[in-house]
Amino acid sequence: MNTNTSRGEADLLVIGAGLSGLMAAWQAARAGLRVHVIAKGAPSLHWTAGTVDVLGYMAAASATAVADPMNALSALPGYHPYSLLGAAQVRAALADFLALTEAAGLPYVQGDGNWLLPSAVGALRPTWLTPQAQAAGDARRTAPMLIVGFSGLRDFYPHLIAENLGKQGVPARAAMLPLELISTARDRNAIHLAHALDEPQRHQALGRALRQLVQPGERIGLPALLGLEDHGATWAALQSAAGAALFEIPMLPPSVPGTRLFQAIRRSLRDLGVRVDMGIEAIRSHTAAGRIEWVETATSARPMRLSAACYLLASGGVLGGGFDSDHTGRMREVVFDLPLTVPQRRSHWFRAEFMHPAGQPVFQGGVAVTAAMQPCHPDDPAQPLYANLWAAGGVLAGADPIQERSLEGIALTSGWAVAQALARR
Amino acid sequence: MKRIETEILVIGGGATGTGVAWDAALRGFKVVLIERRDLTHGTTGRYHGLLHSGGRYVVKDPQSAVECIHENRILRKTHAHCIEDTGGFFVVTPEDEGPYPDKFVEGCAATGVPCHEISIAAALRREPLLNPRISRVFEVPDGSSDSFLATHATAQAARQAGAQLLIYHELYSLIIEGAAENGTQRVLGARVHDAAKGHDVEIRAALTINATGAWAGQVTAMAGIRISVIPGKGTMVAMNHRALNTVVNRCKMPADGDIIVPVHTVAVIGTTDERVADPENLRIEPWEVNLMLEEGDKMVPGLSRARVVRAWAGVRPLYQEDYAGASRDATRKFALLDHRERHNVAGFITITGGKWTTFRLMAEKTVDMAAEHLGTRRPCTTASTSVPGTQQGAYWLGHRLHEIEENALQGELICECELVTRAMLENAARQNPTITLDDLRRDVRLGMGPCQGGFCTYRAVGIVHALGQAGVWQGDAGHQTHAAEEWDVAMMQSPAHNVAESSPQQGTADRAETCTPRLFNPNLLLRDFLQERWKGVLPILWGRQLKQERLDELIYLAVLNADHLPDAALTSPLSEFYRFDTTPNDKEVRA
Amino acid sequence: MSSFTTSWQSAGPSLDECIKCNICTVYCPVAAVTDKFHGPKYSGPQAQRFRENGQPQSPDHSVDYCSGCRVCNEVCPTGVRIAEINTRARAALAAQQGIPLRNRLLGRSDLLGKMGMIAPGLANFAMNNGLVRAVAEGVMGISKGAQMPRWSTQGTFAAWLKRSAARRLKSADKVVYFHGCSTMYYEPYVGQAAVAVFEHNGFEVLVPEQGCCGLPLLNNAEFAAAEGYHERNLDYLTPYAQQGYPIIGTSTSCTLTLKEEAPDMLDIHTPAAHDLALAVWDMFEWLRDLYQAGQLRTDFNALPLVLPYHPPCQYRAHHLGSPVMDILTLIPQLDVRESAARCCGGAGTYVYKKEKYQIAMDVGQELFDFVAEQGADVTVTACTSETCRWHIESATHIPCRHPIEVLAAAYGLYDLHARRLLKE
Repeated sequence: MNTNTSRGEADLLVIGAGLSGLMAAWQAARAGLRVHVIAKGAPSLHWTAGTVDVLGYMAAASATAVADPMNALSALPGYHPYSLLGAAQVRAALADFLALTEAAGLPYVQGDGNWLLPSAVGALRPTWLTPQAQAAGDARRTAPMLIVGFSGLRDFYPHLIAENLGKQGVPARAAMLPLELISTARDRNAIHLAHALDEPQRHQALGRALRQLVQPGERIGLPALLGLEDHGATWAALQSAAGAALFEIPMLPPSVPGTRLFQAIRRSLRDLGVRVDMGIEAIRSHTAAGRIEWVETATSARPMRLSAACYLLASGGVLGGGFDSDHTGRMREVVFDLPLTVPQRRSHWFRAEFMHPAGQPVFQGGVAVTAAMQPCHPDDPAQPLYANLWAAGGVLAGADPIQERSLEGIALTSGWAVAQALARR
Repeated sequence: MKRIETEILVIGGGATGTGVAWDAALRGFKVVLIERRDLTHGTTGRYHGLLHSGGRYVVKDPQSAVECIHENRILRKTHAHCIEDTGGFFVVTPEDEGPYPDKFVEGCAATGVPCHEISIAAALRREPLLNPRISRVFEVPDGSSDSFLATHATAQAARQAGAQLLIYHELYSLIIEGAAENGTQRVLGARVHDAAKGHDVEIRAALTINATGAWAGQVTAMAGIRISVIPGKGTMVAMNHRALNTVVNRCKMPADGDIIVPVHTVAVIGTTDERVADPENLRIEPWEVNLMLEEGDKMVPGLSRARVVRAWAGVRPLYQEDYAGASRDATRKFALLDHRERHNVAGFITITGGKWTTFRLMAEKTVDMAAEHLGTRRPCTTASTSVPGTQQGAYWLGHRLHEIEENALQGELICECELVTRAMLENAARQNPTITLDDLRRDVRLGMGPCQGGFCTYRAVGIVHALGQAGVWQGDAGHQTHAAEEWDVAMMQSPAHNVAESSPQQGTADRAETCTPRLFNPNLLLRDFLQERWKGVLPILWGRQLKQERLDELIYLAVLNADHLPDAALTSPLSEFYRFDTTPNDKEVRA
Repeated sequence: MSSFTTSWQSAGPSLDECIKCNICTVYCPVAAVTDKFHGPKYSGPQAQRFRENGQPQSPDHSVDYCSGCRVCNEVCPTGVRIAEINTRARAALAAQQGIPLRNRLLGRSDLLGKMGMIAPGLANFAMNNGLVRAVAEGVMGISKGAQMPRWSTQGTFAAWLKRSAARRLKSADKVVYFHGCSTMYYEPYVGQAAVAVFEHNGFEVLVPEQGCCGLPLLNNAEFAAAEGYHERNLDYLTPYAQQGYPIIGTSTSCTLTLKEEAPDMLDIHTPAAHDLALAVWDMFEWLRDLYQAGQLRTDFNALPLVLPYHPPCQYRAHHLGSPVMDILTLIPQLDVRESAARCCGGAGTYVYKKEKYQIAMDVGQELFDFVAEQGADVTVTACTSETCRWHIESATHIPCRHPIEVLAAAYGLYDLHARRLLKE
């Protein structure tokens, strides 16, 4: 016995616990499917701003932010994941995400068009859905901002933010408070600070300090660490103590808003009876007669076989570890060895500039899929390569989601669409 | 135009030029040094970090070997904190059979380079990852050195002795009087452009010393003198961790990819050697990277599968009177050219060639000649003078981590990969003011670890911006605002020596006015440094480093939206230099 | 000793996988409660770049506060084996500073077990006597609050096997049982339950000579001694592995050590070590496989219980999902509630160290709260790791059982509360 099998009872095995995999799992479980989620480790949600970027910039005109992604979808090329999904599915998926987060106690809000939210360097981020606690930072509103930082917090520089906001016509000033108002611990990790602010007894002192700083009519921007498990209550209590609208500005990874979202969805999945197993790395698969038979995962001794009726590859692209590459310029999809649409030569993967407005060519590549989000057959792109395999999120070809600010949007909508398709079967 | 009068003008702020300034100042000369960018921005800051035992040259170039072992012993005392006593191996791999090893042993004996053959088992005990199929191992006193720190320490010693060092001062013409025809031509100094302040400076000197390495021919051409200095481009790759703690050389005639140098947290595989037309051409070809990894595998099997952090290239100055042939064969010995004697141009000396290990000796010989030109004889004292910082003792890899633990500075880390604390960065910016974050990188190793600036670029910009608001940092290269006694760079790399400084006062709520000296723009600092880091990772982006790069993109694009910051049109004197030429080259097929 | 700090073959180079994202620091249960530990990334892949063979001194001491729970490995999105890097760094630190007598004692669970069995009643009395414990804390630094295991007062597991030899099932289907020190000296009933379950399913149980797996030694930085232990087990057990017998253990940390930790930490990558690793199964991993093959008997009695179950860190480190849940949920009327707590805090011998006791209690609070939330009528909890069971029992004051005891009870073979086989 050199392998080891797990109960193959699932209707859907989701590989990857990022936003695409979680959304698919949630939607499929709601439709009554038995779903099992495995992930090598904690997902990229822990790194992002915690907002849902649907489409911030068009590759062709990336100097100006997209005002309303719903009006811009039709201008995307036909191979773009949104074009494959269609605007109706995109809207429906986002509406379901709002319902999911509302029910999970971490409500997200939609504005009229993209929000323009200050980043931790003072640039304005175009995003479609924002957690409630970031919404008051919308730069399209004219109210002046007071950006408040904490001395010694290495991931937040309020004066830099205020200066850059000012250069963009957003009235802003900056102030510093002692970090000891939050915690006296030597470790200044944002997650630990957020956890410390879950304690209600810390709210009064911080709230009072903010009230002393703020002037009438100002809104206050703070680093995104206003509570972790009890974020809603923390945010509300601080807001009331400060006597002004408070908004969070996301910081470098690890991201507090992203971690909150991951934990909220994971709780929702648990309530639906969906297992999310971390530390389970899919390493290869076995196929026969155009179907996936099983997936093998790495264990402490021998590989473990996991089988299910259907499989969703949601392992992320280069960043999520779904793709690996070597110095010879070979890039491969790790689990199913699916064909990838990346430039042949490594020297064609990149441009001379790090922040080139059109992004790096290598990140446009990925797994090409059919309109039903199934990896394409190389001989006939309209046909699926495997009858029971789907793909969603960062593995998809046809878009550089970081460059165009569509990371969460593509993830949510493609994951949702796969679940819908499976539920219909 | 601003004017400066001096006895000796040194052109070039690499190891040699800085060494010359130090030596000359110690001998009581009035010295001004100009460097068009930051100290060590040229070849000194782009080499693999080897402190030669001389072993590399015992067969091919015995005189260099003798010089190396002599200087090796001196630098271990005068620059102790910049040098790690790694020791070195010369290993005979299955590809290196032949008569060379025996010649090597004879050469070591003849040149006085200490060399002991040790058993394969003993070598593997010390370096378990070494290729077990090697047939012979010779132990020599190689070491590794921090050429940034050593040059900064030398520069501080020079300043303490009265030298004036002007960085970001670019030479644009030599001041010449007389006519070449009748042999009365004389160099009287130089006109330079202060890139930070944006104005010109005229420096009058009794003697001008050209210490510009691979650029030396360009400088002599300003006086109408043609010399042959061949730029030999050498490409190196740095691995994410050391793998070895001993320098490992192939025991054969010098060739591409024949050495692995553990220096600081990385192992550097070096180098290629390509003759290039222009010393500014530092473009790295894919085949060069692949070759380094393949050659590295022969010394440490599997090394090519480890993570590469970065690749870079430096240009060796290879001087030859009558040059022809491949550049590896050009001599490594240094060349000291008296242009009065050779070309009838007085007041002008060129020093070029050589290697980092012999910089002090080159400076000594140069200043000996300078003294003669100036009509005095003053003895050299650099061999017995320790530079500031030596009191910290010899370098050891764990020192930063140890000092952080002992002083409980864990919460202060700004560059987490290379263990740079907030105070180290602030003090480097205050005490060795420079104009880009790349300059601060050379001071404290900011952004030199696995994430290549992914996390610390943003933090450093925030911190430097705060210093700017407090009026502490001007981004003006500091040569005007900083008196010599305010420079304090010897302890720059020590967390324990940078704990006392408090953060600048920037507490008041109503202080957010824009702070815009000419080069001081946080958005430009951010853009320049990210681009500078990109230039060095682009040639090695695959696997884990590609994943890291994608995370860095997530941070700077998706989280910070840094590609849509104001002031997008601003550039610095280095913005163009940081670009990478991605045009594919036909040599790519060699991969 | 210091050669263990760098290795090309296994844990060492995994530091190259780190992309500095600090997710491990987010989830590290120790860094969350104390300033003395600065998180897995700091001590692991980050600090490792500043350590070297034969270094003049070990640069960092804070790594000693890593409990080795491996939550970092579980959440790391890029596959850094952080806990193993830390274990090696602790070994290097110990090589420099020396290993205190306390840690030498705690590392030798077999020796402690044997000593206590000379007079178990007396030993138990001493270990639970406040005065003795106060002295132990003062003199040796063994925390007086930590729950010491109770030596078995009914003799060792080996003695029971001998006594009951005539009643043991003979069968063509054979398994090898790895009992570990805890079953041998402290909880022979866990082994009895396991034997009963094997036999109920038609398997003859072989219990060849075997030694401590060496994990406590690894965790206490005694790599050389651990190497001796592992070599001995290779001698004892590899022949069985090579004959095709599965070697199944109820102590999840022992099975993990035999499979992975010992070969990796000690750089023992011989064919014999490979054969043994492939033959070793965790009890429920093997049961789930049996079930999957349609061969597990499911003639369970109803077990109307609310059972808070904690999957311990060592068990999660097998990367098997949750075979315990997969099997226990087959039992009618058993309401198993799996905790999502990261760690009980005990972390093997960690909790027994005076300077770490409070950290261990603070780490475990998440789990203790979970148990409390399951209601006042909870009479028993479950966990597959012995040291975790002792720690959870001492903190919650509710008996904690191995899931195999629960399974044996469901088969009607075992009294879960009295901890004894019903038919013997």
